[in-house]
Amino acid sequence: MTGPVVVCTWAGEGEAAELLTLGRTVSEALGTDLVWLVIGVTADDAAETAKRYGATSIDQIDNNRVAASEPDATVEALSQNCSKRSPRMLLFSQTFNVRLIAPRLGGRLGSPVVMNATGIDAESGKLLRVTASAYGGDTQVVYEIQGDAMPIAALMPSAVEPQKSTAQTSPAVDVFEPDLSGVEERIRVLEPAHAEGPRLEDAQTIVAGGRGLGSPENFRLVEELAEALGGMPAASRPIVDDGWTDPSRQVGLTGKIARPALYIAAGISGASQHMAGCAASKTIVAINSDPDAAIFRYARYGIVGDCLELLPELTRAVQER
Amino acid sequence: MRIVVCAKEVLDPDAVNNYALSGGLAIGDDGRTITSSAIPRLMNAYDEQAIEAALRIKEAGADHTVTVVSAGPDPAAILKHAVALGADEIVSIPIEDAGIDYHVVANLLAAYVRSSEGAGLILCGRQASDDDQGVVPALIAESLDMPLISIARAVALSAGGTVRVTRVTPDGNEIVEADCPAVVTISNEFGEPRYPTASMTIRARRTPATVVTMSDLGDVDLAARVTLVEQSVPIVQGNCEVIDGESPSVIARDLVRRLHEDGILS
Repeated sequence: MTGPVVVCTWAGEGEAAELLTLGRTVSEALGTDLVWLVIGVTADDAAETAKRYGATSIDQIDNNRVAASEPDATVEALSQNCSKRSPRMLLFSQTFNVRLIAPRLGGRLGSPVVMNATGIDAESGKLLRVTASAYGGDTQVVYEIQGDAMPIAALMPSAVEPQKSTAQTSPAVDVFEPDLSGVEERIRVLEPAHAEGPRLEDAQTIVAGGRGLGSPENFRLVEELAEALGGMPAASRPIVDDGWTDPSRQVGLTGKIARPALYIAAGISGASQHMAGCAASKTIVAINSDPDAAIFRYARYGIVGDCLELLPELTRAVQER
Repeated sequence: MRIVVCAKEVLDPDAVNNYALSGGLAIGDDGRTITSSAIPRLMNAYDEQAIEAALRIKEAGADHTVTVVSAGPDPAAILKHAVALGADEIVSIPIEDAGIDYHVVANLLAAYVRSSEGAGLILCGRQASDDDQGVVPALIAESLDMPLISIARAVALSAGGTVRVTRVTPDGNEIVEADCPAVVTISNEFGEPRYPTASMTIRARRTPATVVTMSDLGDVDLAARVTLVEQSVPIVQGNCEVIDGESPSVIARDLVRRLHEDGILS
């Protein structure tokens, strides 16, 4: 029998349900097992989640260095786990750390690596095909996997709708202890990152501004509406590049990936580079003076008009309620 | 120290974006190649920032050289640009296949570093703006057994041969250090690259690229790991309700009322 499909998540990070759903479709198509590799301390409900999404077993790596995604330790630990499991395929949720770790592991194991994956087409006896986003989401590409080495793919957030398994499994937890005694971390952290205040990634309400604001002073209108809503202000890449606001506020492919309940985009055209960071929002409201702006294709509600007039009125309307 | 910067020629992503949004992006009969002829080819912008990072390190004092290497069907134009920016040496690895697997590109670039004088520091853009994969720097690092520091907004070399990098992480800036040789990827937060001066552009015309062929590189793994078989413009199904009214104030109240009704605002 061919090796299992292994899906790897860090406890409390990434979207396990989405990744398990994708992993299950692949493992079912190939007629093999689905193993959920959890890094860090599994939540109490992990076994329940695994059962619901059809994982055959859970592997757990409870090691501080791997939990902290120290690159050398993590690549070595995952490499050892792959030696033990001989997976048919290894899947990750694409987080900031996975963008570094997945391709390094691929280099270590001689694996094909596809990042920004949005789907996988698997059929027994045929080559695997991985769909991925390219050109900041302007195009989608399909890569055919070649050779015998275990492929690695990293799934973009919100690319897959979680679906529970119809068949119930009763997965057991197996603790995997990597031997990291010989691994010295080559990168030394001199000053760790410390998030100053709340993070866009966790915000429930975001008001984002773009070029349509006209000038840097007007970013204050975005901040005022965000404050009235108890949310956070954000920005598209062009105005961050021009210094209208701090890079930590940038939403998009090369910025933050946000998934708020409400995302109000003011004066943002909706280039896919930006949408990659906010398409997962539950409700998008678009304000743009161009009725043909791409942002309206993603929006639940749209207002065709000048965001400089509308933002203060929205702030007032929110404050009045 | 020898600093090697890896650069890639890409289709101008802004032009691709304009075509994609207007519905006019042409894909060839092979189903995977963008054929819209008016799209300029240029150096991947992150790679340009990687060259800028190398030049700033060089200007900071010690005795460094900057080599820019590119593997592709016709790297000549972007390599001239690299000289105009200030590169000391340019190296071309010609490849016939424009759609070559990025795993093979990484093997070629690593083999070049190994077969030339090596490198104390390898700088790359964080990803290419065409495939967005960002995998090549990690594959080079693994192949050459170097540490990889990703998504840098600032890079400095110390006299003791360590590289100090400020990384842009979701939690803010992180400052890390590693012993050279190392691979560092540069992000857009690094800042604008310089513009070539007229005299540098003239110098660029007179500076030939060193051409490296497969046989110069020795034993390189050329087996494809992935092949690009399809490319298309994804279709987004719009479901937008346009809110209209006699004044911005009326529209604003209408929107806020609906968001309350939908349970999005409490």
